[in-house]
Amino acid sequence: MSLSRFLSSRWGPIVTGAAVGVLAPLLVQQGNPGNMGICVACFNRDIAGALGFHRAAAVQYIRPEILAFVFGALAAALAFGEFRPRGGSSPLIRFVLGMFAAIGALVFLGCPWRAVLRLAGGDGNAIPGIVGLVAGIGLGIVFLKRGFSLGRSRPAAPAVPWVMPVFAAVLLALLLGAPLLGRTPEGNPTGPVFFSEKGPGSQHAPWLLSLAAGLVVGFLAQRSRFCTVGAFRDVLLLRDAHLLNGVVALLVAAFATNLALGQFHAGFEGNPVAHTGTSWNFAGMVLAGLAFTLAGGCPGRQVFLCGEGDGDAGVFVVGMIAGAGVAHLCSLASSPSGPGPYGPWAVGIGLVVLCLFGATMRESTTN
Amino acid sequence: MKHGVVLFHTTSAALRAEKLTVRAGLDVKLVPTPRELSSDCGIALRFAWGEAARVANVLAAGAVEHEVHPMPEQG
Repeated sequence: MSLSRFLSSRWGPIVTGAAVGVLAPLLVQQGNPGNMGICVACFNRDIAGALGFHRAAAVQYIRPEILAFVFGALAAALAFGEFRPRGGSSPLIRFVLGMFAAIGALVFLGCPWRAVLRLAGGDGNAIPGIVGLVAGIGLGIVFLKRGFSLGRSRPAAPAVPWVMPVFAAVLLALLLGAPLLGRTPEGNPTGPVFFSEKGPGSQHAPWLLSLAAGLVVGFLAQRSRFCTVGAFRDVLLLRDAHLLNGVVALLVAAFATNLALGQFHAGFEGNPVAHTGTSWNFAGMVLAGLAFTLAGGCPGRQVFLCGEGDGDAGVFVVGMIAGAGVAHLCSLASSPSGPGPYGPWAVGIGLVVLCLFGATMRESTTN
Repeated sequence: MKHGVVLFHTTSAALRAEKLTVRAGLDVKLVPTPRELSSDCGIALRFAWGEAARVANVLAAGAVEHEVHPMPEQG
């Protein structure tokens, strides 16, 4: 069986999940923050900070993993004839969904991948987050069954699919070149790229390792359609565990790798980049899960779709970066001491807005 | 039995298609879109290949945009 056919089989999501489960703890060992070998929400937040879109000095770094996801998926899509320029499926709504997805995930402190990675590292606070994620996906399915739709995408101009890969390439150049193009009021060189000197943003594996890990995951995930939100959606809606097997593989592989590396510490207190506020761990992920379900995939999948030519996924990812900026500018994001002062308000507002989208956007009104 | 699969552009189209075909008495099942087929939507509708014409008619009457394919062999 060829590699392509193998990854298209039921083994595809399992191999992809296992690869993430092994590589993420290894990236932690090599310098990434604890239980955050890979986190699409946290890493988009770090990218937002590195570009000066928020002022939280502790979370600023252009994460090569995210850029490499786009490159890896692009390579796979080009190699196997799945690079299709497309877009036009309610892009502005997707931007807002991306924003609230990032805000919800940053109230919990992690995307669905990191929720599983946190659990695999022994962080019990991940459990209400995962329960909230499944609840959010369930709520999204209710809207889907009632006819929610963002409308179909259409073939797009040849330039559209290259915007996100080029954006990723520019970010890689900024990371490596770190040009100082701005000036402070005193006339000192500064920005446009910022690097944390302490905190999670200062913790990172060597960039080449991060890039290599991201390329492998991006390639595998594009071939296998690995998606953590699709996994739960398919179980709830279709009683099909094809994608969920990948999530289970991620959990098992990450648990085993953490044990082998001495990175497993069971408990609720003192976990890295995590808080113990059960209610808001739950509610943040309800919001994120709903946003991902309405948008059609988890944040990892949205990044991979950017490499396949899907302009709508690109808008969602840009929305996530914007949302991460807002989350830190407005004190919505949580910290290890607990939810941000306005985080709960943002979750409430987000749920109202998303439910309005869910209830009012129907197939007949969007086609 | 040989199966066919209907692909859609949106999840809600897949769910509506299931409703219409079940109402028409067809034996169908929502399944994840087979990986060998490329589609915007992760959910597809499986049916008995012998019913391909009836399925297409029901979906056309319901104005559901779709594509009908034979089900690829499972890897």
